[in-house]
Amino acid sequence: MIVTLGLSHHSSPVEMRERFAFAESRIPEALDRLRGLGNIEEAVILSTCNRVEIYAVARDSDATRGFSTLREFLGEFHGHADPLGPEFYALTEPDSLRHLFRVAAGLDSMVMGETEILGQLKQSYQLAFQQGHTGNRLNRAFQRAFQAAKQIRTETKIQRGCVSVASAAVGLAEHIFNSLADQEVLVVGAGDTSEKTARALISRGAKGVVVANRTNERSKTLALTLGGRAIPFETWEQELERLDILISSTSSPGYLLDRARLEPILKRRHGRALLLIDIAVPRDIDPAINLLDGVYLYNVDDLQGIADDSLRQRREELERCEEIIAERLKALVISATARDAEPFFGNATTSA
Amino acid sequence: MDWFTARHVFLLAVICYGGGMVHSLFLWRRGFLQDARVGYFLLVAAFLLQSWAMVLRGMSLRACPVNNLFEAILFVCWGLVVACLVLGISARLRFIAAFASPLLFTMGVFALMPALDPPLTGEPQFTGWLVSFHAALILLAYGAFGMAAVSAIMFLTQDHNLKLKKLRAVLSVMPPIQRLERVASGLVASGFVMLTIGLLAGALLPRPEGVSYFGDAKVKWSALLWFAYLALIAGRWRFDLAGRHFAYAVAAVFAFLLLTFWGTNLLSSLHNP
Repeated sequence: MIVTLGLSHHSSPVEMRERFAFAESRIPEALDRLRGLGNIEEAVILSTCNRVEIYAVARDSDATRGFSTLREFLGEFHGHADPLGPEFYALTEPDSLRHLFRVAAGLDSMVMGETEILGQLKQSYQLAFQQGHTGNRLNRAFQRAFQAAKQIRTETKIQRGCVSVASAAVGLAEHIFNSLADQEVLVVGAGDTSEKTARALISRGAKGVVVANRTNERSKTLALTLGGRAIPFETWEQELERLDILISSTSSPGYLLDRARLEPILKRRHGRALLLIDIAVPRDIDPAINLLDGVYLYNVDDLQGIADDSLRQRREELERCEEIIAERLKALVISATARDAEPFFGNATTSA
Repeated sequence: MDWFTARHVFLLAVICYGGGMVHSLFLWRRGFLQDARVGYFLLVAAFLLQSWAMVLRGMSLRACPVNNLFEAILFVCWGLVVACLVLGISARLRFIAAFASPLLFTMGVFALMPALDPPLTGEPQFTGWLVSFHAALILLAYGAFGMAAVSAIMFLTQDHNLKLKKLRAVLSVMPPIQRLERVASGLVASGFVMLTIGLLAGALLPRPEGVSYFGDAKVKWSALLWFAYLALIAGRWRFDLAGRHFAYAVAAVFAFLLLTFWGTNLLSSLHNP
């Protein structure tokens, strides 16, 4: 009987999750202690910023005893004297397995369909496997969960598109420029969203960042944070002759860049494409600029629109993903029943 | 097996192009969100069939098959497919197959019209390797120009989606517009080099008595085409012709080539004796 006890961003605030999180270096020790308690035959601990979960095989298929051991262990390991609250969910088969499959496919993630969780789950499983804390049941369940996640990734659009302003900007840049590795990003104004967008571009391979802000100190701090260089605010137009991506987020009351100012710059750019991301409200860049050849202007609403459409599309794919999971779960039951005398799904019901 | 000729094999290739075109329409309807692998494999099949058709025709003539419009179109299509398959090795450029299939299908159907493939009567006016070299190089140049036009149309499609801020601009699996522009520009340059060498090879051919090269409609047309592509290249390198304007120009010059090639061929006494 595979059981799951955990808490996630759905059920608890970050303060709660960080209280029960496991540092990666302490997971082997935690697994040893958990197995040492006697009622758990196999165990995998998954601890990320959005969830802390223990997947375990309860001895003699006794889910109630299994959960009580897991609760006792969590309280002891984290020095939490009070009983665990309703933020913790406790799942037995088949819900525990369905949950594992959904987590692997990113369906339970904060950003639906994200792939980072699959890597984290694989890492957690690998750690438990190497330390000898997994056996037939968890090995089979995790392998099938990884296969289902792969099938979902290839056969549905759940992971397609950009679901944030920053990732939409990256998606646009990747559809305009041959390679982000050749691109430096010019950040004018030092807002939070522009920082996130610049950071997202760097994480996808952009060569560097140049920051221009009216306050020199702020420029320098942001440039330092992003590993770029700060320039005086007055010189950003000269940089635009050389750089192909501009993120603008100043608090200027009027347009910082209009057609009359951009056209001479475009002549000196010799026809190279230019991506302008205007995150400022009120806007920094005259929308008429988008009519110019080779210039692609996106404001915060355009980017948010792309992100919302992508998310909507992902939600539309959810039904197909659930079907794949149901099929894979059924196949797991059939193969497990064929191998074991004992049925894979026990008779116990969910207990919270 | 007289009933199974180069035309029949080419017909099979055209059916593959047709399949590719149907697949392209399907991809277009879905917003180019899916990989163009099926279209690419259909082009591979068409390439094999077409190569076979050309070998059959070449063996029956015992010469390079470039004697009439059917054979000329066969050659241009073959050049287009080769360029398509080479570019499609890169996964992000495989989409070119989806855009090239409708063009290849249209050209193929046109080539299969019986009037374009009259049987060769008597000895050809020009013989020898230089004739084959001249014709083959020019037809391959047309193939390169055709692929440049396909890349330009892909550029315009993606540019349109980006300008109108459509979701498909981010979701589509088409290559980035900068790469499409580079591919189009590279193909125009390589096509121009082939066209220049091909035309020079033609100028070296022995002239029939009483015939002036520059009085021939096809020669005049070829010179005009050569200048048009020279202007395109000069515009790009000297006058910053780029982006949408460059793409429109590449597509327009090839459209001119495609629409006037057949007519000038029929008017030419040298090329249509």
